[in-house]
Amino acid sequence: MTTADSVLVRPRALAAGGLGTVRRHPLIVVLAVMVLVFQVSTGSFLDPANLRGIATDAATLAIVAVPLALLVISGYLDLSVGSTLALGGLVAGWLAGQGQSPVVAVLGGLAAGAAVGAVNGVLCCYFGLSAFIVTLGMLTAVRGLAQQLFPLPLSGFGSGFAWLGGSRIAGIAAPVVIAGVVLVAGALFLAFTPAGRHVFAIGVNREAAYLSGISIRRTPFALFVVTGVAAALAGAIKASVLDSTVAGTSGAGFELTVLTAVLLGGVALTGGSGSVLGVLLGVLFLGSLQNGLTLLDVPTFWQQMAQGSALVAGAALAHFAPRAGR
Amino acid sequence: MITTPFADSAASRRQFLAWSGAAVAALAAAGCSAPGSDTASSGQQAADASREPLTKIGLDYPFTQLPLYATLVKLSTAAAKKHGVSLLTTSDGSSADTQATNLNTWVARKTPAIVSFPMVFEAAEAIAKAALDAGLIWVTYGGTLENQSADIRFSFREGGTLLGEAAAKWALENLGGKGKIAFLTDSTIELGRERTKGMIDAFTKLAPGVDVVAQEQAIDPDTGLSKTKAVLAKHPDLNLLLGVTDASAYGGYKALEQTGRAKDDAKTFVGGQDGAAPSLLAIKAGTFYRASAALAPQDIANAIVDVPLAVAAGKANPGVEVPIALVGPRDTAKIDALLAQNG
Repeated sequence: MTTADSVLVRPRALAAGGLGTVRRHPLIVVLAVMVLVFQVSTGSFLDPANLRGIATDAATLAIVAVPLALLVISGYLDLSVGSTLALGGLVAGWLAGQGQSPVVAVLGGLAAGAAVGAVNGVLCCYFGLSAFIVTLGMLTAVRGLAQQLFPLPLSGFGSGFAWLGGSRIAGIAAPVVIAGVVLVAGALFLAFTPAGRHVFAIGVNREAAYLSGISIRRTPFALFVVTGVAAALAGAIKASVLDSTVAGTSGAGFELTVLTAVLLGGVALTGGSGSVLGVLLGVLFLGSLQNGLTLLDVPTFWQQMAQGSALVAGAALAHFAPRAGR
Repeated sequence: MITTPFADSAASRRQFLAWSGAAVAALAAAGCSAPGSDTASSGQQAADASREPLTKIGLDYPFTQLPLYATLVKLSTAAAKKHGVSLLTTSDGSSADTQATNLNTWVARKTPAIVSFPMVFEAAEAIAKAALDAGLIWVTYGGTLENQSADIRFSFREGGTLLGEAAAKWALENLGGKGKIAFLTDSTIELGRERTKGMIDAFTKLAPGVDVVAQEQAIDPDTGLSKTKAVLAKHPDLNLLLGVTDASAYGGYKALEQTGRAKDDAKTFVGGQDGAAPSLLAIKAGTFYRASAALAPQDIANAIVDVPLAVAAGKANPGVEVPIALVGPRDTAKIDALLAQNG
């Protein structure tokens, strides 16, 4: 191929690749149209301050959505992330309030999340119990534990702990940087590591994966633990941003929001397919929709109807698109 | 022959069932001996509880996720203990259906006195009537039913009105009656609707020159934070933010702070309702979180115990109205007292 040929062919190849991505992730088009509509109708949607707000809000969602997506791709599910988020934030906040260093406080929160993830992992991966039932039970049990341990609101965690949610790294909010790291790590893990390919293999057919020599218990168990840690990290970030946290309401309903983002992103609930790019799109879709409806001053109940309708439409698009990542 | 983990899983499940069975048995044993559990036979209760000294009061407060719940249970249990009464509680989880089930169970087992905060007042009438018909004491918390022995009233609207009036007065004095305000509201339950109406009506009546730029549903800090961020993107010069709860207002306060507003900005006013600890601390610190319409938990806890005892003793008009007070930066003694009750 001559240089002239490659100059002509490369844009075509790039265009074909881009079209392929759009075909696999039609949510890109929906997101683009939605952004356009919100910008035209509000005039302030694309303001840098608003975009920063969306990114910061979406960061905690992305931090949990990535490991949860990997878990779903491997054929499991974790519905306890909302309560784990609350427990992680409370433990971290409490430790910070007790005068512990921010690092110790955050590590304490992460340990609590890892413990919840480990319990989920043992029950689901080693005892073979239903992930739906186990994590639904843990959702309630961990919330109860958090309320029992911390019945009153915690606040005043100190300036050191505030760094996690309020500082900027190269001008970007720390939670957004952390979310970026999680997204990149998740994408690299899925695309370039043997364990990442094992996640798909386990999700497609667990027995076939086992017969191929893949550890079908260890990998999902690790994903449960990582998901618990990620939820606790999100809780610590939220506690840091608000400089307060409440056991009863922190992270309430978060499990459905994060699962919605994962499913909207094209991850199959039955396992075996999905991508981190899709998850990112799902997270941005939810964050933009919520923000745009608020900017438009849409009344509460109309907002709920609009959100529900948009989610169904997004899910339908994802369903009819070719599966990603298998 | 290949042995797969799927073959092993049956044995694992048997092991698990054995372990979990033992754990459940241990928990059940612990639960049976836990203080506050009501295991008395319903048949041993008198049909007409008011004729016997009251030994048990059932507190049915549905919003178990709220910090106030834990505070109320703690203070009410202590207040009940002083009278030799044990306090029972339900776990409604903010569900009207669960609340109805739990209340029906209490009526069936003849819990002698029930103090209930109905999520749906109309739905509670039949249960309250059944309780009275069974000779039980029924005290309505947070309102009034047709069928009841007495009530513990709060004027939720008054809390909103106090806050709205204080914010309007501040706007007139500090902004010349101009500026922008956003409300964080609740339209999902009666309490929220009353507070919202009181807050908005009082403010708009007294400060008609201030533009209402947003009314957003938010009762928790996370939602308050994200909604206020969105409002600030459109109205970065927002001056006032009033919340139906202190929790949502505190989220809004953090959003304003994170956009670079100085903590003591002279042109900003945030206020909420409940008297929650983080908000009280912010008010005390002299920030632009300037007011909270607060209920004193100790007053409520005393009423939860005293009103059914008064009914049992046959006193006339035993119901009470628990006052709501507005606290601001100058009310440090009152704030300290509220913080002590919350702690």
